[in-house]
Amino acid sequence: MSSASQLKKLLQNGIHRIGQLELQTNVHGFQYVICHFLDCENTVQPDFGGLIVHHGPADARDLSTYSEDGTYRFTKGQTNLKQGWVMTLANENDLLLALDQFYPACVGLFLAQQGGILEIESLREKLNRQTGMYRFARSISDAGAQALIQQVCGPAHQCAKKILWQIDDATPLDDSEASRFNGIPSSLSEMEAIPLLCREACNHFVAECRKAAKAEFDAKAPQA
Amino acid sequence: MSIAAKPNSALLIVGHGSTENPDSSTPYFEHADEIRQRGLFAEVHCCFWKEEPSMREAFYLIDADDVYVVPDFISEGYFTQDVIPRELQLTGATTVVRGKSFHYCLPVGVHRSMTDLILKRAREVAPDIAPSETTLIITGHGTGLNQNSTKAIRDQVDLIAASNAGYAAVLDAYMEEQPFIAEWDQLSQTPNVVVVPFFISDGLHSFQDIPVMLGIESEVGAAASQREVFRHNPHHLRGKMLYYSSAIGTERLLADVILDQVADFDNLHLSL
Repeated sequence: MSSASQLKKLLQNGIHRIGQLELQTNVHGFQYVICHFLDCENTVQPDFGGLIVHHGPADARDLSTYSEDGTYRFTKGQTNLKQGWVMTLANENDLLLALDQFYPACVGLFLAQQGGILEIESLREKLNRQTGMYRFARSISDAGAQALIQQVCGPAHQCAKKILWQIDDATPLDDSEASRFNGIPSSLSEMEAIPLLCREACNHFVAECRKAAKAEFDAKAPQA
Repeated sequence: MSIAAKPNSALLIVGHGSTENPDSSTPYFEHADEIRQRGLFAEVHCCFWKEEPSMREAFYLIDADDVYVVPDFISEGYFTQDVIPRELQLTGATTVVRGKSFHYCLPVGVHRSMTDLILKRAREVAPDIAPSETTLIITGHGTGLNQNSTKAIRDQVDLIAASNAGYAAVLDAYMEEQPFIAEWDQLSQTPNVVVVPFFISDGLHSFQDIPVMLGIESEVGAAASQREVFRHNPHHLRGKMLYYSSAIGTERLLADVILDQVADFDNLHLSL
C-alpha cells in the first residue's frame, strides 16, 4: 500500500493532527483541508472564516519557511508555524506532498516506525560523518552532548520532535523533558496525532555541538 | 533531450541546503515542482546534506522500488563522489538498498546542456550590449582541496569560447582560488563585463559574498528573498559596466538538465 493510501487510512481511523497542523476531511466540498490547529474552528465557517485560502500543495513550502515574525524556520519541527491560512487538497497524494513540505518525511518516518523498519542513527554516528567546519563537532563530550540536548531540543526550545536516538549504542539520553517528549505538541492522544520523529540529530543540533565542542576545547586549553 | 515517462520510478534530487539561508534550497524545490508537473515520474522528492529531509530520511519518502538520484550540484567533487554515495549507501551506478534500486546519475553542472543555460542567462542580464565588447566571466567557489570543483567551470569556458557566442573573452574566476573574482576588472580588457555565478542557488556565496568581492555591495547583505530591492544592472564600477546575474541554478530550465542526466544514465547504463 502506498504511503498516501496509508495516510488516508490513518485519517479514517481518527488521526487528525501532525505537528501544529490540523488535518480535516470533507470541508466545504474539499476532500482534505489543513491549517494551523489553532485556526481549525475557522475552517468550518463560511469562506473559511477569513483565513487565506491556498488551493493545492504548491504553497506549502512558503508557508512553512518563515514564522509569523519573519524568522527562518531552519528546522521544520519548530513550534512557530504561522497561522491565518488554510490549504485545500484534492486527494491524499496532494495531502502527503503538502505534509512533506511542512514536516519533511515525517509521515514516512512514522509509517516506517509502525512497520518496524525505521533505522535510527546515534548522535556519534551522525557527528562522525560531518565534514569541513562541522568535523570538529565530533569532539564534543558525552556530558556536553547530554547537556546540549536539554538546552536545544524539546518543546521548551521550540522543537516538537520525539528524539529516538541515543548518544551511542550504549549510552541513552539522560532523562529530561526533551528526551521524554512524545512528538505531539498538544494534549492529543497518540490515537489522534502522528508524532514528529527525530531519527537522527538535526543539522541545527550538529552546529550547536560544534560550538559546544569548541567551548570545551577552549576551556581545556592552557591559559597564556 | 526528451525522456520517456517513468511511471514506476521515483526521482530524488539531492542538494546541499542550509540551516542559515532560506534561499539555499529554493531552486531544488522549484526544479522538483517543474518536473512533477510534467508527470514523468511516479514521485519527485528533494533531500539535502544540511537541511530537511536529510539524505538518510529520503528513503522514507519514497514508495517506488526504482529510484533515479540526480545530484543538483554544480560540479563533481567531494559531495558527489563521497558524501552522497555514503549517505545513500550507493556503491556503483546502480545499487540495491533495502530492496530499492538506486540509479546514481551525474551532477547537473557537468552536463553539456549547461552551456546554453549560461549563454541564455548572460543574454538576459545584459540584452543590449555587444558581445564583441564584453567579457563573460563564469564564477564559482574554487577550493584547493578538489581540482574537480573548478573543472566544470573551466569546461564551460572552453565550450563558450569555442562557440559562436561572440564574446571578446570568456574567463573563469573564483572566490577562493586564482584567478580571483574580486579582480574582475583587472582580468577583463573590455568596457562591459558580465558575471554569471556557477552556483545552484542564490545563497550565501552568489548573493551575499560575491557582490562584496565585485564591489557592488560594501558589506554582506541579507538573504536574497529578504531584500526589498534587488540589485539593478548595470553597475558602473571601476571604469567598467558590470552586469551580474543570479545563480545559474535558479534557471527554471535546469529541470531539463536534471532530466538530461537521467536520460544519459539510461543510455549509458541501461541500454545494453
